[in-house]
Amino acid sequence: MSVYDFTVKTKRGEDKSLADYKGKVLLIVNTASKCGFTPQFEELQKLYDDYKDKGFEVLGFPCNQFAGQEPGTNDEVQQFCKLNYGVTFPIFAKGDVRGENAQPLFKYLTAQKKFEGFDMNHPVAKPLLDALQKNFPEYLEGDGIKWNFTKFLVNRDGEVVARFEPTTTPAAIAKDIEALL
Amino acid sequence: MVKVYSFQGCPWCDKVKKYLQARGVEYETCDIEESEEAAKECQRISGDLAVPVTTIDGVNYVVGFDKRKIDELLASA
Repeated sequence: MSVYDFTVKTKRGEDKSLADYKGKVLLIVNTASKCGFTPQFEELQKLYDDYKDKGFEVLGFPCNQFAGQEPGTNDEVQQFCKLNYGVTFPIFAKGDVRGENAQPLFKYLTAQKKFEGFDMNHPVAKPLLDALQKNFPEYLEGDGIKWNFTKFLVNRDGEVVARFEPTTTPAAIAKDIEALL
Repeated sequence: MVKVYSFQGCPWCDKVKKYLQARGVEYETCDIEESEEAAKECQRISGDLAVPVTTIDGVNYVVGFDKRKIDELLASA
């Protein structure tokens, strides 16, 4: 069993087998929130730009399960939203990533790599934890996806080798990606 | 006809629409996520895919929920 056994839906509703990405290093991310605190989109795009020619792919899976409860810095009042932040890596169809109705791929990913806590040094860790305790205490239990921008790194053989919580920035993952390329 | 380029789950887009409704202004919703054509138009008008974009003539436009600018746009029509 590997990620290649899974089929996902494209934005247009077509089936896409992850076996099509065989031999590539993958970063699978649950994305969301076209508004609010989402600088990670830009950083993911940078990773994609830096490594795509070496066989690296970012796969984004939008999910509304964490919408409307964005924690984090609100010092900038943004009065518009940007569609997918203009990223050029594949963004798949919207779907659940946690709970009973979670897409099978995410059930598999979270079973492969457990939740090992947030990096409390990240500025968003504290407000994120507070927001979860207040609004979704059940999300903190178990290994399910805790929030937007949980990242799973997959090697060239389709094995899930690492999980990074929303409190690990994409830039901080660059060295892990390089090690697999 | 006023056009509002937007997508679902964009709170600022909803605010613009509610504001237009409150003012009794009829508008057409152009969903840039659902429609590639709408996305292209939005890109052409504003040079970006940041929404809401409110426009009447496809030339003058307002990005974001800015009541004062939207008022000006409507007044100029």
